Amino acid sequence: MTVRGVLKTLSPLFACIGLLCVWQIASLRLDTESFPTALESIKAIPSILGDKGSLLNILDSIRRMTIGLVLAVMFAIPLGLLMGRIKAVAAFFNPLMMIIYPVPKAALMPIIMLWMGVGDVSKILVIFLGVSLPIIYHAFQGSKAVEEKMLWSGAAMGMSAPMRMLRIVLPAALPEILTGCRTGLVLALITMITSEMIARQSGAGNILFNSLDMAQYDTVFAMILIIGAMGIIFDAAFEKLRLSLVRWSQPRDDMPLSFT
Amino acid sequence: MQVVSLRSDAHAESEPLSGRKPASAMIEIDHVSQRFQTSGKQSHLALSDINLTIEDGAFVSILGPSGCGKSTLLYIVGGFVQPTDGVAKVKGKAITGPGPDRGPVFQEFALFPWKNVLGNVMYGMRQQGMKKSEADARGRKLLEMVGLKGYENFYPKELSGGMKQRVAIARTLAYDPAVLLMDEPFGALDAHTRTRLQNDLLDIWDTQRKTVLFVTHSVEEAVYLSDKVIVMSRSPGSIKEIVDIDLPRPRKRADLLLDARFQKYIVDIEKMIDDGKDHL
Amino acid sequence: MNQERINSVLLGITPIVLFIALWQSLISFGFAPTSLLPPPGAVFGKLAKDFFNGDFLHDIAATLIRLFAGFGIAVVVGVFIGLAAAVSPAVNAVVKPLVRVLAPIPKIALYPALLLILGFDHASKITLVTADALFPILLSTYYGASMVEQKLIWSAMAAGTPRWQILFKVVLPAAMPSILTGCRIGLVISCIVVFLAEMITSTDGLGHMLVQAARTFQTVDMFVPLIMISMLGLILNSLLHWLRSYLLRGFPEV
Repeated sequence: MTVRGVLKTLSPLFACIGLLCVWQIASLRLDTESFPTALESIKAIPSILGDKGSLLNILDSIRRMTIGLVLAVMFAIPLGLLMGRIKAVAAFFNPLMMIIYPVPKAALMPIIMLWMGVGDVSKILVIFLGVSLPIIYHAFQGSKAVEEKMLWSGAAMGMSAPMRMLRIVLPAALPEILTGCRTGLVLALITMITSEMIARQSGAGNILFNSLDMAQYDTVFAMILIIGAMGIIFDAAFEKLRLSLVRWSQPRDDMPLSFT
Repeated sequence: MQVVSLRSDAHAESEPLSGRKPASAMIEIDHVSQRFQTSGKQSHLALSDINLTIEDGAFVSILGPSGCGKSTLLYIVGGFVQPTDGVAKVKGKAITGPGPDRGPVFQEFALFPWKNVLGNVMYGMRQQGMKKSEADARGRKLLEMVGLKGYENFYPKELSGGMKQRVAIARTLAYDPAVLLMDEPFGALDAHTRTRLQNDLLDIWDTQRKTVLFVTHSVEEAVYLSDKVIVMSRSPGSIKEIVDIDLPRPRKRADLLLDARFQKYIVDIEKMIDDGKDHL
Repeated sequence: MNQERINSVLLGITPIVLFIALWQSLISFGFAPTSLLPPPGAVFGKLAKDFFNGDFLHDIAATLIRLFAGFGIAVVVGVFIGLAAAVSPAVNAVVKPLVRVLAPIPKIALYPALLLILGFDHASKITLVTADALFPILLSTYYGASMVEQKLIWSAMAAGTPRWQILFKVVLPAAMPSILTGCRIGLVISCIVVFLAEMITSTDGLGHMLVQAARTFQTVDMFVPLIMISMLGLILNSLLHWLRSYLLRGFPEV
């Protein structure tokens, strides 16, 4: 690899270091107790991850997030694909989705807790609700855009309608579906944190706010770093998976324009 | 009859490769080469040492297989691409960038989708500082000339391919460039529309006598329209031959199709291009 | 054609009607006590009554101010940085890795930090909304601007447009469809985030109303702000849709 190539792959790392430097300088400048420096916050990370209770809390959060996400994917992809191919299904669900879309799913937490208690079921349900919509939407868009003639060729080869759905529409819509899943993954993390912040029972979001209440500022910032890192790692891992699944799809061209 | 003498004031002399500069040279291409960086350290020689002089008011076609660099040559004259080596000049001045003296017409039309037909045609005139009312009047006149009277307020998406290209031609003529640079302008049109636009283009050229540089891969189109056909070969892109088309004007397609000279030009040029396949 | 439209509207209303009917029947047939699930009539009645209530209007206003301020800043900053990154390789080299690191971070996790640095007032909530709405707008502006057809730019340059004007006369309008798509995503996110931020810490706003009701087990009052935020989202979305079809009237397939 060339020097440029190495620089390019490492550039997110430089970005991280740069951001931490800005943080460090800003907190030294402001010099208030409630805004610890980057170094102090990083030093607090091992004590959180080393603590058995906290670690179990965080792992529990991830487990709930994964279950909610998997359920949402299993439900949303078939529905979205059907909506894209059958007009009546789309007409049936679209207005409902428009109404539900701007409602913050994590805000349903108090109501759902009222009905189902504070256990795993409520939290998983909220994550499921939060993640489903973008995946449905993208699967819908992807399947709507499938070339009609591809389906005709499929029918001419003697494929049945469900077969065409599985063998033609699903793979053709896959790039779009995976874009939806990527959004869904980030949203799952957000919903998880938020619902835990609101429910204040357990999990990563709870640690974050408890330490805020107890004025353990370095723990607050260390937790933010941990959650941020989780977001970046999940996203990068998913992007790797996505690239290997849809290698055939045209990558997005991001060359700078040539008029400067 | 010499091709360039179509203009009464033009010299009958036409030997552009002789190195002698004709008095009325519009475009001069002097030892131009273009190298493109492909992946990694490799590079590809798209144009190799091109020398060419095009006289004022001439209709010149560039013909060649795909990948011979004919569009690149046009873009260099347009100032959109800087040559790796050599100089391209217009009216004796080295080309450093795009300018309103050279108006492009692209195969893809490249109309501004957010402007209506009249707005597209007025754009260049307004950019040249023309008053709005004046640009409006001249824009309407131009649209009438290209046969689109009544379509002023339509958006490009509402027009057929042929109509879009008419708008694009009017938009370019609007700022009165000395040179028209046409990059396979009729390549995306159906055969019937293409013929009609070819005829209309010849009519416009007849009245305005702009210098036209016309890139195409249709031999028939090149012979039908041009005074001179530049045949290129590829790997590396270079000029293979320059054919003077000695056919009387105004040309009528129906007559020409039966004309033995017309047919011979086509057959000869097609043979030249066929030879080029050895380069593959 | 018209009949088809009517049919699809009817089909679309069906699930909403069914949903409300199911909601009502759960109560009517005694499956859910009204203390846990208030009847839809009571909720909508309260909502209608609340519109004449100063406190409720104040809550809506507080939410809208935060929403618009945060979203507005995100649009300006996002479009500006997105265009700059598409146009200048130097800006691109700095912005791209930063976006790759910052975009996937769940911004809501930054909220405690924003509270500590900016205080518990408007500023921290507006900043959070901006941080969340920024990236979809920035990214879609960037992609839209980098996909602008080269020949559009060439056509404008040949017509005598100076280089610095190309950005506003060609790149910005040509990227508009993509920019507006980003704005639509950003708007929905703004609605969601402003509500959540108000739920977590606030003294007013729709989110605060929900939390307040939950603490006192006023179930009717818990549903009112939820329906209100959904309606706000719908209204803002249709405004944006209307703006979009006006701005993009010349573009194919809107």
